[in-house]
Amino acid sequence: MKIGLEKRKVISGYVFILPWMLGFLAFLVYPLVMSFYMGFRKMTSVSGMEMEYIGWENFSRAVLKDIYFIPLFYDAIRNAFVEIPLILVFSFFMAMLLNHEVFGRAFFRGAFFLPVVIGSGFVMEQLLGQGVGALQTVAADPSVVNTGVTNGLQIPDVIARYLSPEMYGNLTDILGRLTIMFWKTGIQILLFLAGLQGISESLYESAKCDGATPWEMFWKITFPLMTPVLLLNAIFTLVDSFTDIRNQVILYIKQVAFTNIEMGYASALGWIYFVFVFILVVLIFAFTRKRVVYTGM
Amino acid sequence: MHAISEQIFKPISRAAYLFHRRWIKGITIGKILLYVFMIGLVFFTAAPIIFVTSTAFKPLDELFLYPPRFFVMKPTLKNFSDLLIATDSSLVPFTRYLFNSVFTTVAVVFFSVVVCSMGAFIISKYKLPGMGFIFAVVISTLMFPPQVTSIPTYFVVSNLAILNTYWALILPKLAVPYNLFLVKQFMDQIPDQTLEAARVDGANEWTMFWKIVMPFVKPAWMTVVIFSFIATWNDFASPLIYTTSETMKTLPLAMLGVSNGTVGRMGAAAAGAFVTVAPSIILFILMQRQVMDTMSHSGIKS
Repeated sequence: MKIGLEKRKVISGYVFILPWMLGFLAFLVYPLVMSFYMGFRKMTSVSGMEMEYIGWENFSRAVLKDIYFIPLFYDAIRNAFVEIPLILVFSFFMAMLLNHEVFGRAFFRGAFFLPVVIGSGFVMEQLLGQGVGALQTVAADPSVVNTGVTNGLQIPDVIARYLSPEMYGNLTDILGRLTIMFWKTGIQILLFLAGLQGISESLYESAKCDGATPWEMFWKITFPLMTPVLLLNAIFTLVDSFTDIRNQVILYIKQVAFTNIEMGYASALGWIYFVFVFILVVLIFAFTRKRVVYTGM
Repeated sequence: MHAISEQIFKPISRAAYLFHRRWIKGITIGKILLYVFMIGLVFFTAAPIIFVTSTAFKPLDELFLYPPRFFVMKPTLKNFSDLLIATDSSLVPFTRYLFNSVFTTVAVVFFSVVVCSMGAFIISKYKLPGMGFIFAVVISTLMFPPQVTSIPTYFVVSNLAILNTYWALILPKLAVPYNLFLVKQFMDQIPDQTLEAARVDGANEWTMFWKIVMPFVKPAWMTVVIFSFIATWNDFASPLIYTTSETMKTLPLAMLGVSNGTVGRMGAAAAGAFVTVAPSIILFILMQRQVMDTMSHSGIKS
């Protein structure tokens, strides 16, 4: 039997994508649809997977009755809005520094990316003294663990002696925040770096000939050309911050699902959360569309 | 004698000259400040890793020192032998946890790379009906918090009757949207003419995929190797949910049991944390360049 070239191409194409599609459907799409379905239902028997339809009750309960969800949700949003600009400004600054021709640039880049490598898992949780906290279960006073581990670097005793306790506290707090900040900016720094390297050197040269100061060059050349990367980074940071395992809302959903075993309600919470993040992303796109400068980069 | 000095000193002096010309000549106060600043910052990122490493070698009295000290003063290997003893007395030997972790990680990394690259190849290079829609769905699932779907995923795994087997730890992690996206961005850069030429020369899809496409996108799938290694090796949630028997536990899960809240085991727990982190760091150092290149290429294109 002879099969045409085009037809053979189509068939082999589908054969190639089949394993991926099977996995994607079984472990991502089906669970997504299923959780949407469960959002409108109440689990009556966990072992038998029996559910009854209760309409929008789960959703109205989340918004109107649940005393934890809305405050946690509000906190998560507020944290995100404080954190995201900080992370963006900081990583932009770091990328500018690393973009200089410096000795050992590869080393510095590696050092700033390293936290991403380990930060995603077990160690990060342990270091932050949450969840797995092997260190925390032992120490009776959790503050011992937190000062020692989360802050990473401490103020040397020699200096600490000259500071008032209040100032010492503030300083350790700032140091701690900085450490965590570093652990969250690895990918952003890389994306910014990639963007900076895409800007042609000749632009700066011609600007220099026209007598532009570095300050003017930054605002007139670098910044406008970086807006697409800035947008990409903003969205990445947003999604990352809302799906982070340390996010309080995520922790709450997990608790509802696995400790209280209210799967229908947890699914509803998850969908409310997802829709909110999705709308936020769409809004960011809509608002920035006119301001972002696209060139043929 | 003369020849040797010629061979040794000439390159050295040349290197020194180049080094001087490139780096030393232009040194200014600003540059020195920049280095001091950056090295200071590196300490911040490296601090937690150094902390884990130095804690693993701390004797018991130093572990509970208050205020805690950053560096170890009297390094000891006792924690590691403690770790072996602590896990030996349990039902399953330590090596079993290690084997579980290594086996599932290797399987996930290998098959994830193959499956995702094959899918990406089709989406990128074949204009089959429905591919645009599939890609849109892939992109939006990137935004979904995985916790929402963890419950139904559990039921899928349980209905497939693979709970408590290696399959449960491997299968759900193969079709990762992010990996597909990353590899696809790279495959878009392969010129269509190359593939056409190969086809004219009589290559079928399978050889084309392995001989042309995969070597071309090596940086991309190297990155997938690192990311899926990290995700699987560090994964705590899925062994916890999908396995119940002690023999199926992986390293991170077993490490949780080691300390078990007793003071005497603290050293063993610290050593365990070190053992768990070390492989990711080593792998990253080995493959660093590849990953950095990929990350800086793929992001912009999207």
